[in-house]
Amino acid sequence: MEKPNYNTDIVRSFINWGIIWGLVSIMVGVIVSLQMVEPALNFPPYLTFGRLRPLHTNAGIYGWAVGTTFALFLYMVQRLCKTRLWSDKLARFQLWFFNATIITAAITLLLGYTTSKEYHELEWPVDIMVVILWVAFAINIIMTIIKRREEQMYISLWYMMASIVGVAILYIVDGAEVPVSLFKSYSAYAGTNDANVHWWFGHNAVAMVLTAPPLAMFYYVLPKSTGVPIYSHRMSIIAFWSLIFMYLWTGAHHLLWTPVPDWIQTLAMAFSVMLIAPSWGSVFNGYLSMRGQWHQMRENYLVKFLIIGITFYGLQTLQGPMQAIRSFSAFIHYTDWVPAHIHMGTMGWVSMIAFASIYYLVPRVYGRELYSVPLANLHFWLILIGQLIWTISLWIAGVLQAGMWTATNSDGSLAYSFMETMVEMYPYWWARVFGGIIFLFGVIVFIYNLVMTTRRGEVSPASERTAVEGRA
Amino acid sequence: MDWASILYLGVTFGLFIIFVLIVRYTYSRKNREQNEEAKYRMLDDD
Amino acid sequence: MWERKPVLLLVLATAAIMVGTIVTMILPFAWVNTDADRIATVTPYNPLEQEGRDIYIREGCNNCHTQTIRPLVTEVLRYGDYSKSGEFVYDRPFLWGSKRTGPDLARIGGKYPDAWHYKHMESPRAMVPRSNMPDYGWLKNNLLDPQNIRHKMDVLGFPYEQAEIDALKGKNEMDAIVAYLQKLGTGIPWRKTAETLVVGELHNPYQDDLTVLDAGKALYMQHCAACHGEKLQGEIGPELTDLDMPDADLYQILFNGFPEDGMPPFSAIGSDRLWKMVNFLKNEAKH
Ligand code: HEM
Ligand code: HEM
Repeated sequence: MEKPNYNTDIVRSFINWGIIWGLVSIMVGVIVSLQMVEPALNFPPYLTFGRLRPLHTNAGIYGWAVGTTFALFLYMVQRLCKTRLWSDKLARFQLWFFNATIITAAITLLLGYTTSKEYHELEWPVDIMVVILWVAFAINIIMTIIKRREEQMYISLWYMMASIVGVAILYIVDGAEVPVSLFKSYSAYAGTNDANVHWWFGHNAVAMVLTAPPLAMFYYVLPKSTGVPIYSHRMSIIAFWSLIFMYLWTGAHHLLWTPVPDWIQTLAMAFSVMLIAPSWGSVFNGYLSMRGQWHQMRENYLVKFLIIGITFYGLQTLQGPMQAIRSFSAFIHYTDWVPAHIHMGTMGWVSMIAFASIYYLVPRVYGRELYSVPLANLHFWLILIGQLIWTISLWIAGVLQAGMWTATNSDGSLAYSFMETMVEMYPYWWARVFGGIIFLFGVIVFIYNLVMTTRRGEVSPASERTAVEGRA
Repeated sequence: MDWASILYLGVTFGLFIIFVLIVRYTYSRKNREQNEEAKYRMLDDD
Repeated sequence: MWERKPVLLLVLATAAIMVGTIVTMILPFAWVNTDADRIATVTPYNPLEQEGRDIYIREGCNNCHTQTIRPLVTEVLRYGDYSKSGEFVYDRPFLWGSKRTGPDLARIGGKYPDAWHYKHMESPRAMVPRSNMPDYGWLKNNLLDPQNIRHKMDVLGFPYEQAEIDALKGKNEMDAIVAYLQKLGTGIPWRKTAETLVVGELHNPYQDDLTVLDAGKALYMQHCAACHGEKLQGEIGPELTDLDMPDADLYQILFNGFPEDGMPPFSAIGSDRLWKMVNFLKNEAKH
């Protein structure tokens, strides 16, 4: 079979833009972490913590995670289907519309146009842009799969399809709102209903944006990097069905002890614990694929990123269910423990896998070998250490805070006023600033390495772009 | 037992049966080849 | 089967997603916000409060402040009666939040006098030393737009009087946000029911004990100085330099506060600390 003429230009563009938005998110992350220790760094009205934090989360999730997801899905779908993308034009449109959406999102968030719903802050006109963007993406991926020249569908394609329908349903239902003016709307649901709908969305945004797409990448990039197939495709199928079935029941674990009906909370708790099984199904599949290949951890920097990434996913999916248990939630909910959980996921799992996938694609889309492997190793250690400082200090802080919030005197009165507990957080918040800067530094090393690759990297034999083109 | 409980149990049991069927189908000897083949095929193209 | 048929796979994946969705997201509409959890005393926001709420959303206050009190002992002690579903029926969107960088605000309404909020919003650290909350004094420079607010009330279908809309003229965003804060959690008369009573004979365990004066002073600075002044000279609250009453009576005042006049009760910080403050205040009064 002659080799199809794959569209790699679009993949490269999405990688570049994903990285740019990732850098924005991480820089804003460092800024908001500084604002938490030094309130004089708030510059009203546009640059206060309350407006910048949503910019940080949106740029991180929708710019960086979704941007790299677009790049990888557009790449993987062609390879796994052994056919060129269904429509190049649609993909181009998707690229520019993606950037237009993220820019509009950033501007409107700073102007204070927000719905307040976490991870769904964008006001209705921007919501509509997101929907158009997603439909364009969905059509291209699905049509490419339909016209594929490969009979079986590899597991990565399954996760891709699930995330495409999942995001669509979640985003539209949670976004139902009544416009008042161009940039102001009221939610279609009220109070407890709104909370329940929203966290059904919120937790499954984690499932469909921060879990399924990185899993699709992991299942693809790991075997490609080691040269050894995934341990069991059938196990990945069982894990797939269980994961997408169970995730949707768990939203209310964000609402334990609130006025949401108890039975919903109990279901959420039970399903969260059951989720360990399919999550670890993927973790084991990854580990078992490494049988006889562990030496590659030392020799192949890609494998290092991937295996440490899936390990953090494993830890994340043990910690998450723990937090979903009522008694534990009573203790750590609302504390600084939770941001540490989040950042083990976003910095340790999502970003690790995204970095590995981009490195994997470098020779294939830039047409050149990576400029420097030692720099990639440095990048690995900086983001690992930065993340660990960030998360470990905040876990300690969270437990301390929870302990102080719930401490009582012998006469049953509270042992600490709120401020006495808050000032104890400052040292840990400073540690987070420090960890964040190390992480940021790692990302800068990564970007430098890529830029040098496009300038000085050796022309790659793996490239199907001819070197003459050389316009990477 | 009231009707609600019967309904709950029925739905739970039904879902469990579906799960068992998926596992049986996926792991049946007949389908072994087709359900594992994809992992080898994804490696050959590069 | 589905391994080769992408459209079938998509349909089945959607079906798998919909089961949990229907049970835990759609079905609850049959129970929540129904007559069963309505509370008669909970009323919609008035125009000024609703505008304040929209400013709270615009500024992203919910990124640091939660608005749900869980039925847990220390939480009820710290913030007040736990939250009920019926209290939120007019909240579009809900503002429960997920992180308490600052304290919960579900029952902040009526805890402090308005003057406290104005000063605190303008300069949080003047009232709460070492707080990390940003300054919001600039809200005072933005006047409200009555017509826009009326339109919002119409969209929400909340009742209002023309007089309320007229009264918005000349008011600024700070007025609105303070009005909103003062409304929070007041839909049920929880302050009355949650009042703790002192029972039995009151006896000051630190009678004439001068060693606790420093501790008492520190506590005063932390809890009282923002309103009564660092030198007890009085600001939002009255001056305290010549208190002349028995220890037990002073203790009662600190314990129960004067909620109607804006002084919050301090029962939750415990009797030991209250007595130390009593000693400090009495000692200051002698000089
Ligand atoms: C240098 C790296 C980073 C730093 C310093 C940083 C810092 C922060 C800070 C200070 C907060 C607010 C926590 C709070 O309110 O208590 C936050 C929240 C958040 N960040 Fe980051 N972040 C970083 C990287 C990332 C990345 C790469 C992502 C996503 C891909 C991300 C996603 C989030 C999310 C989802 C939240 C919301 C947490 C919540 O709801 O409690 N962060 N981050
Ligand atoms: C089995 C898997 C998981 C379970 C059961 C789980 C459970 C939880 C729970 C219970 C919370 C709420 C904590 C609280 O506020 O008290 C939470 C928060 C969160 N988790 Fe996980 N988690 C899982 C995996 C993940 C993964 C893989 C990520 C990927 C990054 C992730 C990202 C987040 C985020 C972003 C939040 C913050 C939501 C907010 O803004 O409050 N989780 N998780």
